[in-house]
Amino acid sequence: MSTKGTQIPEWLKVPFAGITPAPTQEKGQDLFPTGNWRSIRPVYRDKLPPCNNACGTNEKIQGYLDLVKRGKYLDAYALIKEDMPFPSVTGRVCYHPCEQACNRGKYDEAISIRAVERFLGDLGQALAKDVVKPGKPNGKKVAVVGSGPAGHSAAYQLARLGYKVTILEKSPKAGGLNRGGIPDWVLPQDVLDREIERLVELGIEIRTNCEVGKDITWEQLKKDYDACVLAVGLIDPNSVRAEGENKDGVHYGLPFLRDIGMGTSKVKLGARVAVIGGGNTAIDCAREALRQGAVEVTMITVEAHPQEMPASPEDLHDMLEEGVELMHGRAVTAVLGNGRIEALQLHPAKFSGAINASPINVDKEAKPERFAVDNVIIAIGQRASLKWLPDEFKTERGTIKIDRFGRLGDTNFFAAGDVVQLGSGQPLMVVNAVGDGKRVAFNLDKVLRGEKLEPRTIPVDVIFDLNRMNMTYFPHFPRVKQELLPPTSRRKTQQEVIQAYTEEQAVEEASRCFSCGTCNACDNCYLVCPEPCIVRDVRSNGLYKILVDYCKGCRVCIEECPTGCLEGVPELDFETGVVRMDTAFAISPGLHGRQAEELKHLGDRATKNI
Amino acid sequence: MATAADVKKRMVRINGCVASAQAAKYADVDVIAAYPIRPYTATMMALAQMVANGELDAEYIVADSEHSQLSISHGASSSGARVFTGSSGVGVQFAYELYSPISGSRMPVQMMIADRTLDPPGDFGSEHTDALSTRDMGWLMGWSCDAQEAFDNHLIAYRIGEDPRVLLPQMVCQDGFFVSHITGDVELPDTGQVKEFLPPYKHPYPLDPRHPVSHGPQIMPEQGPPLQLERARAMEESMPVIEQVHEEFAKIFGRKYDAWLEEFMTDDAEVVFFLQGAHAVTARFAIKHMRDRGIKVGMVRLRTIRPYPTERVREALSKFKVVGVIETNMGLGSVSSGGVLYSEVCAALYESDKRPLVMSFMAGMGGEAIVLKEFYWMTEKLMEAQKRGKIEKRTHWVGFEH
Amino acid sequence: MPTIEVQRQLLPILGSPNQGARFFNPELPSSEPFVPGHRTCAGCGPSIQYRMTSKAAGDNTILVGPTGCMYVANSSYLCTPYNVPWAHTQIGSAGSFTAGVAAAYEAMIRKGKWQGKFPNIICEAGDGSASDIGLASISGALYRNHDCLIICYDNEQYANTGIQASSRTPYGGMTTFSPPGPEVPEGKKLFPKDLARMMAAGHPHCYVATASVGYPIDLMNKVRKGLNNKGASYLMVYTPCQKGFVYETPRSIDLGRLVVECGLYPMWEWNPEKRAYDYSFRPQTMRPVSEYLKLQGRFGHLHAEHIAKLQKFANEQWRMMGVELPEALIQAADAKNLVNMSAAAEAETVAQTI
Repeated sequence: MSTKGTQIPEWLKVPFAGITPAPTQEKGQDLFPTGNWRSIRPVYRDKLPPCNNACGTNEKIQGYLDLVKRGKYLDAYALIKEDMPFPSVTGRVCYHPCEQACNRGKYDEAISIRAVERFLGDLGQALAKDVVKPGKPNGKKVAVVGSGPAGHSAAYQLARLGYKVTILEKSPKAGGLNRGGIPDWVLPQDVLDREIERLVELGIEIRTNCEVGKDITWEQLKKDYDACVLAVGLIDPNSVRAEGENKDGVHYGLPFLRDIGMGTSKVKLGARVAVIGGGNTAIDCAREALRQGAVEVTMITVEAHPQEMPASPEDLHDMLEEGVELMHGRAVTAVLGNGRIEALQLHPAKFSGAINASPINVDKEAKPERFAVDNVIIAIGQRASLKWLPDEFKTERGTIKIDRFGRLGDTNFFAAGDVVQLGSGQPLMVVNAVGDGKRVAFNLDKVLRGEKLEPRTIPVDVIFDLNRMNMTYFPHFPRVKQELLPPTSRRKTQQEVIQAYTEEQAVEEASRCFSCGTCNACDNCYLVCPEPCIVRDVRSNGLYKILVDYCKGCRVCIEECPTGCLEGVPELDFETGVVRMDTAFAISPGLHGRQAEELKHLGDRATKNI
Repeated sequence: MATAADVKKRMVRINGCVASAQAAKYADVDVIAAYPIRPYTATMMALAQMVANGELDAEYIVADSEHSQLSISHGASSSGARVFTGSSGVGVQFAYELYSPISGSRMPVQMMIADRTLDPPGDFGSEHTDALSTRDMGWLMGWSCDAQEAFDNHLIAYRIGEDPRVLLPQMVCQDGFFVSHITGDVELPDTGQVKEFLPPYKHPYPLDPRHPVSHGPQIMPEQGPPLQLERARAMEESMPVIEQVHEEFAKIFGRKYDAWLEEFMTDDAEVVFFLQGAHAVTARFAIKHMRDRGIKVGMVRLRTIRPYPTERVREALSKFKVVGVIETNMGLGSVSSGGVLYSEVCAALYESDKRPLVMSFMAGMGGEAIVLKEFYWMTEKLMEAQKRGKIEKRTHWVGFEH
Repeated sequence: MPTIEVQRQLLPILGSPNQGARFFNPELPSSEPFVPGHRTCAGCGPSIQYRMTSKAAGDNTILVGPTGCMYVANSSYLCTPYNVPWAHTQIGSAGSFTAGVAAAYEAMIRKGKWQGKFPNIICEAGDGSASDIGLASISGALYRNHDCLIICYDNEQYANTGIQASSRTPYGGMTTFSPPGPEVPEGKKLFPKDLARMMAAGHPHCYVATASVGYPIDLMNKVRKGLNNKGASYLMVYTPCQKGFVYETPRSIDLGRLVVECGLYPMWEWNPEKRAYDYSFRPQTMRPVSEYLKLQGRFGHLHAEHIAKLQKFANEQWRMMGVELPEALIQAADAKNLVNMSAAAEAETVAQTI
């Protein structure tokens, strides 16, 4: 018997016939904590999607599109409402900087975000009670001067923070530019009314026909309220500074639209109407003119061609479809007629600088054109009307002087919206005003609570590069188009030109969203890991975990992450949890120590645990 | 389906192949892996008919090669099924890759081997080299000399191999033609006797989804020696179990076999033949013939060659003056330049105080019977050596020398 | 002895991750029979396949591991990463050991020696095992229709022994047994066996399919179809090997897609009931073979004429699938058109949606 008297040392005990118990599913094979193989660790890091970044009020667009994909419309609506009080308005009127920034635009066609927002906004309007509630009252009172987008937004956020808000609106109806600057066939009156109702439901008091400087003074504002937001907008139209501009039949863009919106318009348009200006207001005026009975409408711009015009290309296209003519490279130098306009005198002109806010160079030497019209609508921008404002707070440009937080000096007065954004480089859009109003509301709240106002310091990683995502998971799909009224029937009606999405269309379009840089729980990383060392209990963003004890750093997960949420970070950049390999089989502390422990107990484990 | 239940003890006249098949039936095997090669094929033919008739409920698999036969057996045994397979000649060698893995993973696969000379040339006659060439692979191995013993050895081998103290595969060998194809009287037992003798097969760690285990993972180099040590231990510690089982068999079935050796007319013999397998039958006749003429010759037949009963062989053979090892196998280039048994006999005798002379005879090669004349010739050689006090040469080629 | 009817599992087929424009994987089974802590290389394609297969199969499974990377690298130092029973077997025993296990369970359940639903029995054989040394045993298992699934994880070489050529190594594939040199500029002169078709053609009663790690849900569904099939099934899965193919490890899944998109690994299923091939699988894009070859160091030595030969081979595969070939790919099969680099670049812009 050769094996008689033999003894296998403890540390070399082997299981019966080399048969070993199976590892559990709860933890991996402790003999090989392979985490010390890697030099790059995958990390989940949500980047800022370009749509969220581009939105004037930083709506969580990727977030609500993801909720729509999953059929959670109410949650999606609630998500928009965090930053945007009236999605049913912006869903119709916004010039969608988000869509311009949308990464899908570089791939096939941008997501029709505005249409989805409209779908959600309308869904929200249909609710008996809104998802947003006023905050717990904190006993403080704030006045918001102006009920346009900026004022509406500031009042909304302040009410949610618990303030007692009073909106002071000079016009007979609340809404500001939403009411008076946007035609009914873009934004129907009843949609806006419902949004104003929602403000009242939040406990906000709205006083119309109350003009600051006339019905209430600066001093009264200071005395009666703890703080005040001035969102007075730009209401005085600019002049073309042409001779004869004061003749009858000459109208200005915003007042023209506003009176129609308020229901107080007395304008009767003749057959031939000219519209001066190349911006969105000008376009709205031209199209409204058609609906008000004009037969021939011509838009006259200084810009040399359509691409230079600041107007939204879609709206320009729709306008041309409706039959408006477009003339470029001319400025009005005189209004001709006997007490009443009969024609315009036009000279060739171009902008002296790169942008169309720069001064116009008119070629007075050239032969003037005579353009016969019955009316002209001048829509070349607005100015603020600030007679009631103390001079110390006025800028040279004619806007309100504020610091970077929207505050007037160290008073409790804040200003937001077009009235401070004019000339800032930001386009004057509803959504920018909403964002401004929201930020100012939060800053105001900080000031009243005695907190210091500080600028943001954290760098933001906005994801623009499609190479940071994985496009193989996104086949090309065209944008879902919203139905439009046929062009020929449009001028006969004030009905909305652009139709709403159905539920199926909204989901179909939202499904095209890449979810740029943000995990949307597709489970792809979980599925492709070779170890596998990616775990999650619930399929939700933020709940995926890499088991660093085992991850070998192969980076297949990073490569296959469709949204680009996963990134590789060099292992040595980590301060804690760094896994190093000393030698191949080191009996030393750390992971190799674990390995050594396991080896010691191999023999016992085998026979006992089966 | 009616199986080997409720069958009473009876006598039949069958050959070794059918006897082996009957043993498998009585053992209620679960999986049979078959592949044709002469002469063992008849076992598988018999089993096929039994399964078709419903006498035995088993998965009958016609494998695609001997290598596959053994792999199937390995897989089936690992899963907890009782397995029966077999082969002959070069077929045994075709499956060679599997022998060490099966014994090392402690799977009690049973293989019926009806010996056949190895190629070249194509010779259907029996030589033991086919099975003997695998003798170091860790299987229990032994030869039967007739159909009854073949039947009994199969049941005994299952009992030993599946014993939880042993868990080793077994090769139950019989000479091709001489045992496999010559009929003899075989007592088939009561099924009740078999039930009593052979409990169901239960491996401690089968492949079972309810208790997951891993069979045969890679090892660290230093884990190699202890695993080999354990294999050696398994083989050695099977020896007491082998003896115990043979006693149990005798009690239940009434047929007594010595586990290791059959000693025939050795009491006052001075010269003996040492052999294994079917040639013992003719040897017994020849010895009786010679004894009647006053020649003191006997026979020691090795029944179990693995594990080798070193002490028993030493004790048994030390008594004699000359041992003639009859080799029906080839050990080309070996110590004796003859067969395989010689070296193991000499090694067993080496420590002995009284060592007999040992010589070997290449006889019965290629499946030829060893005739009476040749037994006389061999005995003469033995007695000459005894007189001379030394051997002429280690290996004699019977029939080719004067 | 009573005869008990054998109960078998029926595994549900997973939904597609492509729901319109949205990419979202379906709910996956939660069980993880393949656990981390194994010594395969980072990004190992066969490991990815193994994980997906075992997840699709679930806990009532027995795995058989013939010698190869999925034995040696996965099981080391007397441990394995399998939470279900697993047995090592010889490289040539892939089909037969599996058949033994399947037969054992048929007999044991039928004879009342084991209670439970018939387990999934899956053999994971490398292409060296399946295509060469174990070919006969696998063919035997398929012919005899044991209820099992035999998967060949095809990394087109004997990887574990240090990258040697097998009968699945593609034309021009460098391995240590087929290195390029002045006598043999392409390295490997022979085209590979079409192993999957051999299995389908030779055993028409079996479910046979090809799959790739580039299409995980499709792979898992084919595994389930194979397991649900009462009888033998065979799955040939393209699993890239970073060591042998020489590419950057994050590209394992990507290569799995590219190989299908350039036609070198057609994805099809053999339907045993209809006795017909289902060639309906279409990748998103059609690419010239150069886009796949250029990512791998093992093809770095190829000249234009060799690439053209491979393109010709790929074109034949497309024709078999019933796909109409764009002109650029037909041109790319002629070496003359590839020698001029700009023509090669043109061929690369073929990518089109099928």
